[in-house]
Amino acid sequence: MALKKPKKPGQQPLALQMRGIEKSFHRNAVLRGVDLTVRRGEIRALLGENGAGKSTLMNILGGIVPMDAGEILLDGKPVRIASARDAIDNGIAFIHQELNLVSDLRVYENIFLGCELRRGLRLNHWGMRVQTNQILRHMKLPLSADALVGNLDASYRQVVEIARALRQHARILIMDEPTTSLTDVEIHSVFRLLRTLRDRGMAVLFISHKLGEVRALCDTYTVLRDGEVVASGDVKDVDERDLARFMVGRDVSAADDYAPRPLGEEALRVEAFSSPRRFIDISFSMRAGEIVGFTGLLGDGRSELFSAIFGCDPHVTGSMFVGGRRVRVRSTEQALRLGIGYVPRNRKENGIVKDMSILHNASLVTLRSLRRRHRPGLDLRLERERFARRAQEMRIRMGSMDDAITSLSGGNQQKVVLAKWLDANPRVMIFDNPTQGVDVGAKEEIYALIRGLAASGVAVAVLSSEAQEIIRLCDRTFVLYHGLIQDELPRERMTEENIMLLATGGDLAGAQDVVGGND
Amino acid sequence: MQATNAPRIRGRLRRLWRENPYFSTGMALALLLIVMTGVLVWKNDFDSFAAFGRSWVSNCVNICRNNAVVGIIALGMTLVILTGGIDLAVGSTMVGMGTILLVLMDTGKAGVLGALGIAGIPAILIACAACMACGAGAGALIGVGVTKGRIPPFIVTLGAMNIIRSLAQHFMQGRAAPAVPDAFKLLSNQVVLGQRILPVVYWLVLALLLHWVSRNTAFGRHVYAVGSNARTTRLSGINVDRVLVKVYALEGLLIGIAAIVESARMGSMNTANAGQGYELDAIAAVVVGGTRMSGGRGSILSTVIGMLIIGVMNTLLNLLGVPPFLRAAFKGAIIILAVLLQRKDAE
Repeated sequence: MALKKPKKPGQQPLALQMRGIEKSFHRNAVLRGVDLTVRRGEIRALLGENGAGKSTLMNILGGIVPMDAGEILLDGKPVRIASARDAIDNGIAFIHQELNLVSDLRVYENIFLGCELRRGLRLNHWGMRVQTNQILRHMKLPLSADALVGNLDASYRQVVEIARALRQHARILIMDEPTTSLTDVEIHSVFRLLRTLRDRGMAVLFISHKLGEVRALCDTYTVLRDGEVVASGDVKDVDERDLARFMVGRDVSAADDYAPRPLGEEALRVEAFSSPRRFIDISFSMRAGEIVGFTGLLGDGRSELFSAIFGCDPHVTGSMFVGGRRVRVRSTEQALRLGIGYVPRNRKENGIVKDMSILHNASLVTLRSLRRRHRPGLDLRLERERFARRAQEMRIRMGSMDDAITSLSGGNQQKVVLAKWLDANPRVMIFDNPTQGVDVGAKEEIYALIRGLAASGVAVAVLSSEAQEIIRLCDRTFVLYHGLIQDELPRERMTEENIMLLATGGDLAGAQDVVGGND
Repeated sequence: MQATNAPRIRGRLRRLWRENPYFSTGMALALLLIVMTGVLVWKNDFDSFAAFGRSWVSNCVNICRNNAVVGIIALGMTLVILTGGIDLAVGSTMVGMGTILLVLMDTGKAGVLGALGIAGIPAILIACAACMACGAGAGALIGVGVTKGRIPPFIVTLGAMNIIRSLAQHFMQGRAAPAVPDAFKLLSNQVVLGQRILPVVYWLVLALLLHWVSRNTAFGRHVYAVGSNARTTRLSGINVDRVLVKVYALEGLLIGIAAIVESARMGSMNTANAGQGYELDAIAAVVVGGTRMSGGRGSILSTVIGMLIIGVMNTLLNLLGVPPFLRAAFKGAIIILAVLLQRKDAE
């Protein structure tokens, strides 16, 4: 705390050592002997793709999951961390992506939530306020202890979380992707605070996907891949492209099952599409028979963009053309009538109606076409026949079509969600994270269905954060970053490294050598 | 033989219990009817089987007739609850619509249609049509409040409940009670097959019709979908708001019909206490029938069964001579019991 002048991290004592950490979930090894050290007064970036094991490692440190093997040393002494309480008592503070604050309480009330100061039976508001102000002053923050957390900017909410950690005498701070919901200015102020804390001896573990931020903030880095440490060292010795390559690993060749298709007329065009706080000035066009990818990191705005195209965003501005005709889509009903189909992400919340049978889920979109000609009511026999044919064609594995949709596996559920759009004969089909929670076999079948759709002349948009998926399916891809189209990649330049670089806010100036490297 | 069959039968019963929504409520109703029959025989000394039969039939008809008006309202309530909503305004809407109906066809000096020179059957028809139309309109307004105004149904209908009754009371204050044409009273009181069963006929016909609508039309399917997962429904290109407005309008229309049946039966409608507590009785019927309060699961016919369970139990308590003030306690207990049994869903 007394250290005013930043020292070189190398001279500082080790605050945290994790040695040979192993962890498996159901025979599935997530961590295989990971070593990680952080010195006092050091900000270490922990990098890796989704599923590389970062979260598991940090959850072990935070006492949320137990480890199978390995040891943890704090300030050189071995400790046992069996619960979140142990972690806090040992001075480890875990700041999660979703903040744990109560918006209707004041700053000091949040900081003392669960461990309020008391005076007899009453709360000692005065004492809590004074202590909070001390901490805030110490952090050099212009923030009042009496402010309502609900009124604060997103960055200050993070600051309140950090202040809470400081009150609990944290010496190691874990920040899990703290910047995803922040604007540039807010990121700046959080970074300034983190540097202040570092200069006072705090050890910080910074988890992020954004390599630019890592370069700007961190002193050292550790890259995890498939549960192992593949690289670590000083940030000043590497550039963003190196980090991206460490994360992706092998030079991934483009999948070999891609085949170009003949393209038709323009099916969908969007010009200067913007929605406040979601995406800015998006323009693109898609032709019939084309598969276009949209990728980026969490919070890049691609899902919001396409839910706006599907008529779910009343605040959107800009113009949109379907089949060359200018349209304004105000409702999903209208989007359906224009021939736009949408397989949303998060199947459980957005894709299926879980109280309904497989059959009823599959015909939800096209009930109108089942109306009987001369009598009221639906043609229920036609409904069954139509779906029976569809199910066979799509190889949906089910007992009876009257079973609950929840009785199916994830992949088959997703096929039902897809099936419900096929009878609507869409000319533009949007797939948001189409293989989320889908096993490998079903994944291939869904890829085949998407290709088949495109081959039949549908313009397909595939939204995914899996670079592999984009590369295997798409003719070209847009990479989004913070609600902006960062760049467009034609098939030749679509590599995992390029996608990762653009998605983390970099640009492809001088990217020729990356292309060269793959040839 | 028995030893080998018993587990199979038990397994089958358990499946029925779990999967057929009518099984548990149907069994409960049958049980109550048997007990009621027993009590009927025990309390009365029938000198012939025919006398017992007459008494039994008239008992059952009474049960149905006494619950027909709330039963009609409960049909619409079922749809509302299936979408995940609730309608607290049904009782006062019925009073409001009844007021419109009676003032229109009043044969006294204040009768609106009478003043326009319309009388007799045309007046009755116009008044009934207006009553149903206004009911549907009031329901649609509630629906608009729920959808466009984004106010929870509980609040919108709580407000509407107070507004409508207050308007009706204010309007009728100091007026002579409207006189109803005799022909109108026949709508509920015409003797058919030796009993005044017309309200029951209306109720059951409407129930069958709505049950068919809920199972065989796009609208019906949409109602279930909205109640189970409104997001998915919207993302499937369905106009959720329109479905909701239709549901509340349909409920309003049914309340209009209930108002006609009720005022024809009574020959009047008291703005102060008619329809009092109907909202809770209707909700109770829906719940006892097994429709899930959060929506998406249930059916119209189960509500009919639920209504009958409550009705038979009331009669039973009456036959047994349970003091009137104590009867509500039994009703409350059965509602709680019904929801307790519904937890089989959650397994």
